[in-house]
Amino acid sequence: MDAAPLRAELKRLIVSELHLKGRTPESIEDDAPLFGGGLGLDSLDALQLAMSIEEKLGVRIPEGDEARAIFRSVRTIADHVAKVRAG
Amino acid sequence: MSSRVWVTGLGLVTPLGTGVEATWSRLVRGDRAIGPLRLFDASAQRVGIAAEVEGVPTPGPGWSRSALMASSAAEEAMRGAGVDVHALRVGLVVGGTTGGMFETEQLLARLHAEPSCRETLAAMLSHPLTATGDRLDEKLGPFARIRTLSSACSSGANALVVAAGWLLAGELDAVVAGGADGLCRLTLSGFNALAAIDAEPCRPFDRRRRGTSLGEGAGFLVLEREETAKARGATPIVELAGWAVGSEAHHITNPAPDGVTIASLIVRAVDRAGLTAADVDYVDAHGTGTPLNDSTEAAAIARALGPEAARVPVSSSKAQIGHALGAAGAIEAGIAALVVQRRTLVPTASLDEPDPALPLVHVAHAGRKVPRVRAAVSNAFGFGGMDTVLVFADATRTSGGVSTPASADLPVVTAASIYGPCGLLGTEACAEVVERRWDRESPVDPDAYLDPARSRRLDRAAALASVAVREALAGAKASPDDTGLVLGSAYGNVDGSAAFMHRIFEKGPRSASPVEFPNLVPSSPVGHVSIYLGLRGPAFATADLATSGESAVAQAVQLVRAGEASRVVAGAVEPKSDIVDRILAALFAHAPSQTGAVRSDLAAAVVVESAAEAARRGARPVARIAQSIEWRGAAGGLQVVDAPRGARPEVILSRGNGGSGAMLDASAWAGAPRHVCSEAVGESDGLGAVAMAVGVGRIATGRATGVLVLGLERGRGYAFVLVPAE
Repeated sequence: MDAAPLRAELKRLIVSELHLKGRTPESIEDDAPLFGGGLGLDSLDALQLAMSIEEKLGVRIPEGDEARAIFRSVRTIADHVAKVRAG
Repeated sequence: MSSRVWVTGLGLVTPLGTGVEATWSRLVRGDRAIGPLRLFDASAQRVGIAAEVEGVPTPGPGWSRSALMASSAAEEAMRGAGVDVHALRVGLVVGGTTGGMFETEQLLARLHAEPSCRETLAAMLSHPLTATGDRLDEKLGPFARIRTLSSACSSGANALVVAAGWLLAGELDAVVAGGADGLCRLTLSGFNALAAIDAEPCRPFDRRRRGTSLGEGAGFLVLEREETAKARGATPIVELAGWAVGSEAHHITNPAPDGVTIASLIVRAVDRAGLTAADVDYVDAHGTGTPLNDSTEAAAIARALGPEAARVPVSSSKAQIGHALGAAGAIEAGIAALVVQRRTLVPTASLDEPDPALPLVHVAHAGRKVPRVRAAVSNAFGFGGMDTVLVFADATRTSGGVSTPASADLPVVTAASIYGPCGLLGTEACAEVVERRWDRESPVDPDAYLDPARSRRLDRAAALASVAVREALAGAKASPDDTGLVLGSAYGNVDGSAAFMHRIFEKGPRSASPVEFPNLVPSSPVGHVSIYLGLRGPAFATADLATSGESAVAQAVQLVRAGEASRVVAGAVEPKSDIVDRILAALFAHAPSQTGAVRSDLAAAVVVESAAEAARRGARPVARIAQSIEWRGAAGGLQVVDAPRGARPEVILSRGNGGSGAMLDASAWAGAPRHVCSEAVGESDGLGAVAMAVGVGRIATGRATGVLVLGLERGRGYAFVLVPAE
């Protein structure tokens, strides 16, 4: 599966689920850091995002340190989703 | 001048047992009551263990599990103190967050299956947060004054602070104060969504801790001034010697990791008690068992107590009774009081492997007798960063005592605001609100006033309130930093709670939204406004049905009068609610006249501060509060309202209900022109704050030389007299 549509879907999910008012999905870079600096997301956003990804994409995000690596950027999340889907 | 506040009665209902002695003996032994939940099916939950109270009967009509536990604890406290509500002016303060949510969830489940079922809709508002106070009033009252408040998990502790303020101002003889909260699906699903619950029974301060365990229960204390108690021959359990309340203005669910706010509150509370860190012999920690709470709190305790922290034992009873949320602050205050009285430390029962990163002296596994406990600190922290610290001292101490307010003068008002169908109005424009009939359908778009990046977590109530409070603070030219906040709301976030539960009914508890959950706590708008605007003073929500706005104004006046804060923004917020509209339509289906008022999106605020504070910072008051009166029962309080002075007195009514016309006709204000806010801007349970803002505006613009603001609702009334500031 081509990863670009998946990344676009993740960006739409991030903007709508985390109420990023005034941001468009397209303005989020594939490799931009999501937490800390970057989009300014925090641990509460990470929980919401994990819940939404599980619900909308059917892919579970593991907890703890593993999640930190997956949530680095849109690209790393997409890679994780693709990997899980590929089995 | 100094005085002492004594605790003369105590009642506890905890998962360890019903009653003080049942709880205490097991607490000292280190028994733990956390296990698989039986109250409801928790099998689909991420974690399904909690600490449940045994033997709570099935609630009758109007009662909830929370109210039953509250009644049991308050009754035990009043019996122990021997207070007679007919002989003394006895007040009641109830802190809580869930109230009757467990019972409401069963209705929401039925509504989920059958959305327009009239019987279900009609029953939906049977369990507002105020219901606990109302049931206690029927069973144990009548109480002279009742306050329902919420500051999430510090609610129970704040109830004691409010009570102490009333006593020191001489407004009441005794106050029964505490908190009650029952377990429910909503809170278990929500804390699970936040990944804040340990799969094992919680392990505060342990290196392996992974979260808290939820609990439930009730704790009530009877507080009196020493001289009142002595006069009736009562003996103290302990002295409530000091307290401090403040807000972190940091994050809606996470504590500020530096613990600076908490540390400064511990220092202030100990200082207020006339003590130093060297006098503290025990700290009853909030100790939830989440990694962040415990590390933050340990750092704060170490910072506040300095070198003494290496001596003072610290423990958390949550390892045994779980986290009772809105009741926790009161239950644990009761436990701290017993530790002082009985010179016996209670343990952190689960503590096998203390986290070496936490600089604390622990009491592991079981309690123990000690030679003396001169004073104990008790911490309670809530969502939104609303922190409260209490200090209990040995009642036999001979020095110290809390200082009473220097002046009994009522505060001044330095600005007002209203935000709703009338637009966003500052002090002077508020005067005109009652001169027009505003279009209830005018769009109200708070996003136009808010920074999109910083306001993304604000739900509609929080956004409306932020706009109104910011306008009022700007009008007063006041710094938010040292300002408190009291917001009234009758039903809280009904639509949000319903949507949250519908998702759970539909998709299971693992689909509960972690971002939505903190917005369901009754004090959520207060927390969000405090964070958005940087308010760091005492902050909580009050509820009193349709007079919720009035209750917030009355409470803000009392906080300033008691010296708890030099400046408090008092207000109310009530967004339009689809469900409340449907409920009212169902309730009044056969009485269309009662649905005549269209409900509006409304928020209003007034800045209340001490005259000394306004003078200190060179602010010009726009009005002075000459009287602030509240009463319960039908008798009414207008007989004690001073006659109007000046050529142009006016009466501003929240709404034209509850026999206000007849009451006014029989009062000294009979001849004054009357304006009714609900007719101008629509119906809202926060209209009392609108009425106050209108009154302030009419004084500020010289339209009126004296204003009586009056709010009445089913056996409760509030009256405020406003006069020019001179």
